[in-house]
Amino acid sequence: MGDTLNKVKITTAFEGKPNARALKTYVDNGGYTALKKAFSMQPAQIIDEVKAAGLRGRGGAGFPTGMKWGFVPKDDKGPKYIVCNNDEGEPGTFKDRYIAECNPHMLIEGMIIAGFAIGANKGYIYTRFEFFEEIRWLEIAIKEAYDAGFLGDNILGSGFKFHLDHYTGAGAYICGEETGLLSSLEGKKGQPKLKPPFPAVSGYLHRPTVVNNTETLATVPFIINNGAAAHKAIGTEKSPGTKLFCISGRVKRPGVYELPLGYPFEKLLNEDAGGMLPGYTLKACIPGGSSAPILTPEELKGLTLDYEAITAKGSMLGSGAIMIIDNTMSMVELLKVTVDFYHHESCGQCTPCREGTGWLANIMGGIAAGEGKKDDIERMNEISARMGGRTICALSDAAAMPTMSIVKKFGAEIADYIERGIRA
Amino acid sequence: MSETVTFKLNGKDVTVPKGTTVMEAARREKVEIPHFCWHPGLSVAGVCRFCMVKVEGRPKLEIACNLQATDGMDVKTSTDDTKAAHKWALEFHLINHPLDCPICDQAGECGLQDYYMSVGKYHSQMTRPKVLKPKTLDVGKDLVLDTERCILCSRCVRFEEEVTKTGALGIFDRGDRAIVGTYPGTKIEHSYQTNLVDICPVGAFTSRDFRFKQRVWFLKDKPATCPGCSTGCSVDVFGKPETRTYYRVKPRQGEANGHWMCDKGRDTYKHLNQENRLRTALASDAKGKVSEATFADAIADLGSRLAAVNPAQDVALLVSAQHTSEEYKSLFDFFVRELGVKKVYQWREPGEKTDAFDGLLLRGDHNANTRGLQDALKEAGLPGGVKNEFDAVATSGAKIVIAVTPEIPWTFPSLERQLDSLSELGFVSFWSVAGSLTTRKKVKHALPLKGFAEKKGTFVNHAGKAAKLEHPFPCTVKDGRDVTEIVAALKQWRQNHGRH
Amino acid sequence: MAVIKVARPPEDTNIFSAGWGYITTISVGMWKTLVIFLKQLTRIEKTNTLEWPEQPATYGDRFKGKHFLTLRDDGEVRCTACFLCATNCPAECIHIEAGNHPNNELEKFPVRFEIDILRCVFCGYCEEACPVDAIRLGPEYAMTGPTGGKWVYTKEYLAERKQLSGGIVSVKDENEKHPIVEAPKEARSPKQLKSYVRHGLH
Repeated sequence: MGDTLNKVKITTAFEGKPNARALKTYVDNGGYTALKKAFSMQPAQIIDEVKAAGLRGRGGAGFPTGMKWGFVPKDDKGPKYIVCNNDEGEPGTFKDRYIAECNPHMLIEGMIIAGFAIGANKGYIYTRFEFFEEIRWLEIAIKEAYDAGFLGDNILGSGFKFHLDHYTGAGAYICGEETGLLSSLEGKKGQPKLKPPFPAVSGYLHRPTVVNNTETLATVPFIINNGAAAHKAIGTEKSPGTKLFCISGRVKRPGVYELPLGYPFEKLLNEDAGGMLPGYTLKACIPGGSSAPILTPEELKGLTLDYEAITAKGSMLGSGAIMIIDNTMSMVELLKVTVDFYHHESCGQCTPCREGTGWLANIMGGIAAGEGKKDDIERMNEISARMGGRTICALSDAAAMPTMSIVKKFGAEIADYIERGIRA
Repeated sequence: MSETVTFKLNGKDVTVPKGTTVMEAARREKVEIPHFCWHPGLSVAGVCRFCMVKVEGRPKLEIACNLQATDGMDVKTSTDDTKAAHKWALEFHLINHPLDCPICDQAGECGLQDYYMSVGKYHSQMTRPKVLKPKTLDVGKDLVLDTERCILCSRCVRFEEEVTKTGALGIFDRGDRAIVGTYPGTKIEHSYQTNLVDICPVGAFTSRDFRFKQRVWFLKDKPATCPGCSTGCSVDVFGKPETRTYYRVKPRQGEANGHWMCDKGRDTYKHLNQENRLRTALASDAKGKVSEATFADAIADLGSRLAAVNPAQDVALLVSAQHTSEEYKSLFDFFVRELGVKKVYQWREPGEKTDAFDGLLLRGDHNANTRGLQDALKEAGLPGGVKNEFDAVATSGAKIVIAVTPEIPWTFPSLERQLDSLSELGFVSFWSVAGSLTTRKKVKHALPLKGFAEKKGTFVNHAGKAAKLEHPFPCTVKDGRDVTEIVAALKQWRQNHGRH
Repeated sequence: MAVIKVARPPEDTNIFSAGWGYITTISVGMWKTLVIFLKQLTRIEKTNTLEWPEQPATYGDRFKGKHFLTLRDDGEVRCTACFLCATNCPAECIHIEAGNHPNNELEKFPVRFEIDILRCVFCGYCEEACPVDAIRLGPEYAMTGPTGGKWVYTKEYLAERKQLSGGIVSVKDENEKHPIVEAPKEARSPKQLKSYVRHGLH
């Protein structure tokens, strides 16, 4: 059992250091040592180490990273690719931009190690174009790394060749889905590809590709430096390590907090974030970005922030975006904004998602405009139930789950709104 | 030996080659799995999410089109789960689909209508305004696009990418605002456009030629072989026998053509309609005046003229390669074997490029039965070889020329000119479908032929594959006969008049 | 051997017995007829017989008579040439030829729309099949005419019978499903009625 209260800093280790994002700061504080250590290991050893560390994908799904790397065919002579999914689009999430902006070298080091582990000689960092600052610092960092010999044809004399490029997407939410991202990277319309085949076998340009979240990759150097056991010692048994939590809403200190998984929710809200602003009370909380089902204050009591505990409550940890809904917020507006977002972002490929998100938005538009009907709530419930699990990617589920949970838990408020035609 | 897998489909063991998808296996087993985006001639897109099947032991329903059959898999296509999934998939397809059926040409052969009857039959829950999109767009010379009716199955986009490799179509914008269309300032240019109408499961693409002409439920379709070129595509001819009108030709899955056919081939029904066609026989009466005649009179006219000359010297046959092998056989049996006619000439378009091929289906040899004619010539002991001997007729010195004319007008650009120059010769008996013969003053004798859709017989294509015409429509003109029937009538006349 | 005896019924001479009942029944009927005839002759009782065409005959609004095509606000026929009436017609008396409307938004319209009224059985299936309420069976019942009359009603005739004082009113309100087609009041005068009947013929 790991420690769920020990605030070890992994991805935010350089917080507060002057010029933290510079290569010099990073190297002076033990940066790129993991890379040297990794070169002394076998690629399979690295994968085993990451597997043993129990690192799970930080992008939302929580898929074990080591296992994902293991899917890449070992006898494939390449080219293979490692892609960093820095297309942080989940509403409420602002953790990857923190890493890319404040600590880009940790990400680059993680990518080189991942590339070495799976035998990829080419990496891409895919960022949405709205993140101007991030893009700027990432590009500077890549240049610094090239100049220092951490990237190139013969890294640190190891004979390992790794090139890293930065790619700017156009800002579509769907390009945060790994195959959607790969389509976009290939220069096509960003829409998810049919699976199987999975990207680990046929991804970017039909070659084996691993797509990892920024935070996941940035955690890799820590694991290599300190060993799997050190990582396993943090957090819970099944969800080891730390996680960046983005807390937003009417709390005293909103922001990014690196906390061990399994950290109590109430402690985060009341101690780290300083509690609710005066005059506001907690009405609900979305624990993992807008795709996660909403949780009521009763469900939040005693909740610990790890994958299993939140799943047990019927929601998900997702990207770790904790959105605090206070008593002044209307659930009708919340639901409308949510379904409008998914309606806007659905790629339109699969019918249930294309039509379902549009239909939900259409109904919510009607309700918000005071034209709601009594059976709209039941209808939304039914539509969302039929959207989930029927599509190529998870966007349809991402739209259906919050809708179902809000309709279920706050149906009375919506029904009241429909009856009055206005907010109570 | 290729590997096979055995799996259960609705409780029945099915053995298929490894790598076969459940959809393909179900199609082979004649198990209906509703689908929109899957097409046997295109890649798998998996976007309509309609072909949901239940695999025992798996938590979610899966799409049959992208599900490879594996050993021991237990697939069920109609459980309560899948039925609900199909119903809802249809509901999702229909919520923004306009109620255009009264003015939509696809009505009657529309996937949405068909599936509504087979898996739908619900009351729509859509109570909000529908999404409106551009209608009646001009995307190509044969096509009209209605993006509102489109269900974004992407079949057309894949067709453009994979079959014609032009990539002229794309899906633009996202979500339920997505519309299919051409790139700005461009149109679909290739000559396989109307295939888009066929593969479109709804009425988004409609054919400009067939647009508003007839409702499809009035039409009867019969399988035939396209007579437009030597590829010999399998087609279905659609006509309305009550009014003796043909409306369109569509491809049927076949060995020669796969699933497609060219736009040129789709025009092959037009010459069969009455208004374009030789309707009655023309023959001279006792005074030598040429007028419309009954078939029997025309046969008598020709028979008596044939009886008056020495066939070996004075009769020439001018034969085009657009008729069936059976017709050639009876023609040569009678004229060459029985009458001893020696002057047999092939009639082909001057300057044709027989070897030309557009890379997909259309061949430069616009005659459906070049091979069949060669075989028949060989069998009759005549010199073969594909060549145009049209000009040789004029200098042959024959007193009677039997001209078995080409059937399809667009395959013979010089046909009208050639008919002109032929009618200048002595006595020419035109066996033809060409309507222009009635207006030509110098034509002395003509017999209306049946079209390809109206007769039985065989076409042999460029590869030597024989395709049978087995399901004829009734001939749209009363006196229409095929060559075999004309020859038989001639024989009968000769018998009746004591000549054998 | 079986023998079937065939016997005449015994002769009944009493004309008041049941066997002679029809005589009394006929007599009672004849008497009633005579009384009514005399009453109506002397105008004691009103007659129910109409002196048509001088006197108007009114039917219910749901009477299914001669067809008419309804119009849209812009005066065009509402028919979209969907062929559903022709499909549904048991007498196969409707002939439609569809075409591209010059206005691209309207797309499809009937170039020709003909009803062979001699074949029509006035079942009203066309009205029921119509998805756009374009064809209706109207209140006109006089469809007689001389030999060689125009028995095939054209689209123009079906859509525009303005001269008709019986009042073929094409529907303009999109929301209205079945308006009541009323015969104008003045049509009740014998002169107007003559015109009504005359125009009803053709």
